[in-house]
Amino acid sequence: MTTRTAPPAAPGTDRPALPPHPGTTVGRGLVRQLRRGTVVVALISGGLAAFVAQEYERTFSGALGVSSLTALAENPAIRTLFGPPVALDDPGGFTVWRTGTVVAVLAGIWGALAGTRITRGEEDAGRTELLLSGRVRLATLVRRSLAVLFGAGAVVGAAVVVGMLLAGTAPAGSLLFGTLIGGTTMTGAALGVLGGQVLPERRAASGLAVGLLLAGLLARMVGDGVAALSWLRWLSPFGLIGRAAPYAENRWGPVLVLVLEIAVLAVLAAAAAEGRDVGSGRWRGRERGRTPSRLLRSLPGLAVHRTRRATVTWSAGVGAYFLLIGLLASAMLQFLRDNPVFAQMAATAGFARLATVQGYAASLFSLLAVPVGAYAAGRVAALMADETASRLTLVYSRPVGRVRWATWEAVAVAAGTVVVTAVAGLTTWIGATWVHAGLGPGEALRGALTAVPVALLCLGAAMLALGWLPSAVLAVGVLPAAGGYLLLVLAESFGWPSWLRGLSPFAHLAAVPAEPVDVVGALGMVLVALLLAAVGLVGYARRDLRG
Amino acid sequence: MTAIAHSADTDSAPAVRTQGLTKRFQSTLAVDDLTLTVPRGEIFGFLGPNGAGKSTTIRMLLGLLRPTGGSAEIFGVPTTDVERAHEHLAHVPADVALWPGFTGRECLDLLAGIGPGTDIAYRDELIARFELDPHKRARAYSTGNRQKVALVAAFATRAPLLVLDEPTSGLDPLMEREFRRCITEAAERGQTVFLSSHQLAEVEAVCSRVGILRAGRLVEVAGLDDLRRLRRTEVVVELARPAPALERVAELPGVADVRWSSTLELTLALTGPPGPVLRALGEADVVRLDMREPSLEEIFLDYYGQAAA
Repeated sequence: MTTRTAPPAAPGTDRPALPPHPGTTVGRGLVRQLRRGTVVVALISGGLAAFVAQEYERTFSGALGVSSLTALAENPAIRTLFGPPVALDDPGGFTVWRTGTVVAVLAGIWGALAGTRITRGEEDAGRTELLLSGRVRLATLVRRSLAVLFGAGAVVGAAVVVGMLLAGTAPAGSLLFGTLIGGTTMTGAALGVLGGQVLPERRAASGLAVGLLLAGLLARMVGDGVAALSWLRWLSPFGLIGRAAPYAENRWGPVLVLVLEIAVLAVLAAAAAEGRDVGSGRWRGRERGRTPSRLLRSLPGLAVHRTRRATVTWSAGVGAYFLLIGLLASAMLQFLRDNPVFAQMAATAGFARLATVQGYAASLFSLLAVPVGAYAAGRVAALMADETASRLTLVYSRPVGRVRWATWEAVAVAAGTVVVTAVAGLTTWIGATWVHAGLGPGEALRGALTAVPVALLCLGAAMLALGWLPSAVLAVGVLPAAGGYLLLVLAESFGWPSWLRGLSPFAHLAAVPAEPVDVVGALGMVLVALLLAAVGLVGYARRDLRG
Repeated sequence: MTAIAHSADTDSAPAVRTQGLTKRFQSTLAVDDLTLTVPRGEIFGFLGPNGAGKSTTIRMLLGLLRPTGGSAEIFGVPTTDVERAHEHLAHVPADVALWPGFTGRECLDLLAGIGPGTDIAYRDELIARFELDPHKRARAYSTGNRQKVALVAAFATRAPLLVLDEPTSGLDPLMEREFRRCITEAAERGQTVFLSSHQLAEVEAVCSRVGILRAGRLVEVAGLDDLRRLRRTEVVVELARPAPALERVAELPGVADVRWSSTLELTLALTGPPGPVLRALGEADVVRLDMREPSLEEIFLDYYGQAAA
């Protein structure tokens, strides 16, 4: 640097040279933030797809006739729930039908969460300001984030291609399937970045992005079920997977549409980043509050206040899905009565007793535990996020024991799971009543509430992680429902030993309302959930607080 | 090092007492064998360079971190018994994080609702004094305004112990003056204040005793006056005519850094009793004698210097 005694020189002559390509340096930092998640999601997606394809080869290749396939493809209910069944006689086609949606949802949600994390999350934490004080503009940062996320999506897609090729499926179908999964990841990522530009908080931005992505799934379901609305399928990556029909027609036209949609989202995100203030979103939210909430005067009130909005949002989403389930009841039943082969096949795939409306409802209510479990785990993850952001320091500097506060929070979330499941039961009943399917309100409620013990298991697992593995609250929390469901489906599809199947909580659920409630199984799960939560609380009381 | 045990009333426990308090984060020893007593009613300044372990100590006092060794008590209640210990204290963290969707009023209501009892009238007075707009949502607050929320909530409790971790880092000078007034009022009411701060002028103005932490160890605990006495006093001597006898003043006990700015002006640093130097000066023809006590900043920098050495 210049010294006082030096002769007056041109300013900056002895300053270090400007490093070239600050954007590349930023990109490298983004890669560092995303690489671990990318590898994990790529391994799960590729591994799961390859695994199912291989198990299919071993178990029942060639067991289905062509006429049955045609009937299946034509049924609106089957199409609505599982997507259009094509090329089921091919291991690749079966894999796409059975796991395509699951893998696409997983990869897409990860993309959305990663997208908000590296944009809005970094901005919330104040780290973006540090970067922007260098020679990088916000718009450049957003474009780089999109580029790195798209790279991550490509890696996930490539992993699926490799997995399917290793499982011995047709190369053309593998390439198409992997491209579609990669494209879904990119769609989620672009939605995440867009959400991060629009909303001023990470949690809200993540919610918007994931909500839009899952609305795409709902649009696919409606488009597949209602002929007049079939154009909806073109709007979402999930619909486009069906349109492309990997391992059957292998159409690449829908891939072009997907690329176009991703491009539109990316351009919107980049445009939203131009000219906005750092630290706030396009939508700023109210600066001044109305009358102060009376809830915010005690711990239980705070717990209710924190849980309220999430419960309403999840109830609305789950309610919309199950309204559709209810509306489809008659069409599905008619089809299964006409084609008993499929009732049998569905039974081996985890959907037993589909032939009565009660059986149909029961099969779908068991699915309910997955979103409700994710809701419960998400609330505990929000508690952890508050801790990391130091928002609990003031609370815990008051005469507030950690166990007492966390218990109130858990109680509020447990009550929330009952609310969300009850809403699902009610909307199913409304839908089924609309089409005169003959499902009683009590039956619908009982069936829906059967999912509560599994959701509580998720809550318990999340509490366990809160105490002992605070960096993985969400992942551990969704494991009993999402992992357990996958385990059950795989175990029943491929005839795995019963002890392995028994590890899944779903193995201990009765098909309510087709069967009476399995009181012992439900109580057992609640007991395990309480035990997990108690062990978690012991750890939570003892460990150092973060943030 | 030197932990000064104060003989507080035997039946009334001191506000803060730690015994061999230690915290290790994996390979880092953040706080090392900290033994400290803060008697009731004292305004105690807690000083130390960045990373010395001040916040870690405070977080252990609050029960947010579990000590690796040793123990701490708040008014005789172990810090592990959070619900009981926190009935006696209020805290202002260094970095105040609030729920972004809550208004300032909602945050204050919440903290009052779960706190050790809040004087609502005094709180309204504090809101006015700190010029806080409580109807804004926390996301619209600046760092200083978030800090005001925590300060108002803490002072309004009138809790017997205030644990303040750099509470004024985001405040403007006017608000800082208001903060000092609140501290003075708290002291008049007999509240104890445990103040960690980098604002040495602030500590000097309000604290009666300070502890200096360095690399996790307590290197000094003393009253501000004692600290000054123990430390070096700067002595400036002006002579009417040269005094060759004073050439050997550097050999006297406690004398260092002797500098002759001219043959008639002498500056030296003195530690300990001034007798020998005064006797030596008595034989010279002294026109002016100036003895200046070091500021807290100089004392503090002295400790920093030791760290570098």
